[in-house]
Amino acid sequence: MNNKITLSKKDVLKAFWKWTFFSHANYNYERLQASGVLFSMSHLPKKLYPGDEKAQKAFMQRHMQFYNTEPHFGGIINGMVLSMEEAKANGADIPDDAINSVKTGLMGPFAGIGDTLWQGTLQPILLAVGISIASAGNMLGAAVFGISEAIIMLMLAYIMYMRGYKTGKDGVQVILGGGKMKQLMAAASIMGATVLGSLTASYVKAQSTMSIPLGQAHLSLQTDILDKLFKGMIPLGITLLALYLLKNRQMKSTTVMGILAIIGIILGVTGILG
Amino acid sequence: MEISLAQAFLIGVVYYLGINGTPWLTCLGSTIIQKPLVSGLVVGIILGDPLTGAIIGAAINLPFIAYISAGGAPPTDPGLAGTLGTALAMAAGVSPAVAITIAVPLGILGTIIWVVHMTVDVFFVHMIDKCALNGDMKKASFLHIVPPQIVAFLIGVVPVTLGCYYGAGIVSNIIAVLNGTPLKVLEVIGGILPAIGIAMNLRAINKPGILLWFVLGFVITVYLGLTTMPVAIIAGIVAYLYTGIMVNVENKKVAVSSADDNDDF
Repeated sequence: MNNKITLSKKDVLKAFWKWTFFSHANYNYERLQASGVLFSMSHLPKKLYPGDEKAQKAFMQRHMQFYNTEPHFGGIINGMVLSMEEAKANGADIPDDAINSVKTGLMGPFAGIGDTLWQGTLQPILLAVGISIASAGNMLGAAVFGISEAIIMLMLAYIMYMRGYKTGKDGVQVILGGGKMKQLMAAASIMGATVLGSLTASYVKAQSTMSIPLGQAHLSLQTDILDKLFKGMIPLGITLLALYLLKNRQMKSTTVMGILAIIGIILGVTGILG
Repeated sequence: MEISLAQAFLIGVVYYLGINGTPWLTCLGSTIIQKPLVSGLVVGIILGDPLTGAIIGAAINLPFIAYISAGGAPPTDPGLAGTLGTALAMAAGVSPAVAITIAVPLGILGTIIWVVHMTVDVFFVHMIDKCALNGDMKKASFLHIVPPQIVAFLIGVVPVTLGCYYGAGIVSNIIAVLNGTPLKVLEVIGGILPAIGIAMNLRAINKPGILLWFVLGFVITVYLGLTTMPVAIIAGIVAYLYTGIMVNVENKKVAVSSADDNDDF
């Protein structure tokens, strides 16, 4: 075995794009992204194991295992798997178990990182910007959100995937090791929570129109009482109540939605809110 | 506003494009068009009034603004809320706040479509397993892409087309009956529903002390009137500096305690 098999840049790029487009094409309850992983590398069995049908079948079978991660940040795992497969095909002693444990061991942490940074922090910010533009009657709001998200996420996905391939199975130490990643995650959580506070203030609408007659004068519940105490205490209170029901009472989100609707009906009918 | 069958079908296609896993425009593209902010505009274009579509879509997006779909179990479906919700709200000619209360129950209904798609696809995985045993990569690739997408197209387009075509008249009539206080109450509910998405996102962050930052963000916006973008930038800088200091403090603690250990020798 002296003819070394190397994946070309084109092979890696092809795997990256196939993963980016089709990771969820056959998303299902049993094995989630399993067939997406296999499909992203569908051009590789013949290239890595030319003429060796047994090895090609083994390759296909070991990538049909349960797999589920956040496809953009988690793409780093796919990149690592690619380089492990390349090394294995060249005779390195990498058992199937090792490849699978890299996949199953890392898919959770990277899904957590990806969901926090993207869905939990970046997406609410971009959506809030887009929504504020659109609700002011400017149609560009949707484009601002869509284009900026696509550019940022595709760039991140590409960098993560290539980084994974380059650093191979030791890559995780480079990425997760040291204090930088820990710091980034903590900072993202703080930033996310602060932004959520700002979103609550901007988008949870609960204003009272009630006024209390006091002899000749009228006392407005909102401007004369509530605003003097703490502006926005109703929206903040409702959001914290929803959090309490979800977190401390372990309620389902649909149940909490029902409760908020009932509160809305009571406060609306009595005229406290309006 | 009337919705023709052709328009209803096109709205169904918009919904299909936003189903998680639709490969067109990359998988990421499906999460973009799934957002009511985007699908509302597209529905508006199909119905000939992009501006109203954009405004209604932006309103419907509010309860989903901080919504996280993780681990393959979304609690609600922004895609159906954004497409069918915008179409029905435009047909009934309601205010954006009322549109929210039409759209949110649709989002909950939409999870049925998700469950069907996630269940039916299990069938194809088993077929791909067989291909793996036989080493038939070509068939495995075909099975990964074509049949699941045909299923997704059918279960996506059909209900939305029917919902738009037959639902528009029904919803208009219901709204006409509700005119007055009931409609006002719907607006109140529409105003507070965004709290749920935010609360779900906060729960997902779930770190000690995180509520303090949440309240800080709230107060900055209420009292200083800053919009989300500047708050995000300030929060990012402060969070980076703060966590940097915390990491330093932790490292010092480690350094000090190891120095103590050395003294004992």
